[in-house]
Amino acid sequence: MNDPGKNEQIANQAKELFDDSVERLDAATLSRLNQGRHKALAELDHSGPSVPWLRWAPAAGVAAAAVVTVIVMRGPQVDDFGPVTASDFEMLLEEDSFEMFEDLEFYAVLDAVDAEANGDVG
Amino acid sequence: MNANVGVFAVSCTREHSTGAKTLQRERQLNQFLAEVERRALRIAEIAVRDRDEALDLVQDAMIKLARNYAERPGEEWAPLFYRILQNGVRDWHRRQKVKNRVMVWFGRGRPADDEYDVVANAPDPAGRSPDDVLQNHEAMQRLEVSIHELPGRQREAFMLRTFEGLDVAGTAVAMGCSEGSVKTHYSRAVHALRDKLGEHWQ
Repeated sequence: MNDPGKNEQIANQAKELFDDSVERLDAATLSRLNQGRHKALAELDHSGPSVPWLRWAPAAGVAAAAVVTVIVMRGPQVDDFGPVTASDFEMLLEEDSFEMFEDLEFYAVLDAVDAEANGDVG
Repeated sequence: MNANVGVFAVSCTREHSTGAKTLQRERQLNQFLAEVERRALRIAEIAVRDRDEALDLVQDAMIKLARNYAERPGEEWAPLFYRILQNGVRDWHRRQKVKNRVMVWFGRGRPADDEYDVVANAPDPAGRSPDDVLQNHEAMQRLEVSIHELPGRQREAFMLRTFEGLDVAGTAVAMGCSEGSVKTHYSRAVHALRDKLGEHWQ
């Protein structure tokens, strides 16, 4: 059972058969391997700059652009809607809150009507 | 003005040097992958018994190596590449188990192992008598089946040590285990293969 010679013989014979099967791979398979290798090498061109922190540059750029967009969008309009109330948050937490952003003017009018009903106007 | 020209020249030299380095790295990686890809394919194919799946696994491993480890020293590539490939093979087996369970649940039996089309997946003969080719092919088929039937870790240890020729340390990196475990798995694999193939190979 523990005959090292026999074990080596098995391993050598297996290796011979394996190498033979490798040598006889067909052209279509070799072509696909070749394509796969070139796809992998193309990754080197897109692997980004060698300075580690620069890897985050695209993400940082997107984040900065998002912050600027939010600031520009909020800008002077914030005061037009008056102070934020608890009911505003309730509306935001509703499932259809994203749809609300498409019709902000409508909700501004609703807010004004509420305020009028409560006697806040005048 | 002269200072500006000097800065530009230094910048160009640095870029040229970086470009040359990248090109050299690409050449080295290309050479490594070209050397290893065919054996890797057969190793993956023996493990999953499907050439198309094996091709996908090898391609994924090549891409991951290039993407994540191209900067590492060349001598580390082989163990890293095989580690990625073995992880891919293990994930493939896990997915297959889940898939088979789902198939059974929906009343479709588990696909039999012998659905693997030996003839369709046989390598092309290359300048040998049909008898020799057939004999080698049959022996290889017996070997493949026997290796496939080994427990996963034994199969990995045997193929990495015997077929790829990794040393014990490299195999340990590729398998993500200790060198002692590699020796144990390999030894058990060889004994199991002797038991299975003994009557054909002696």
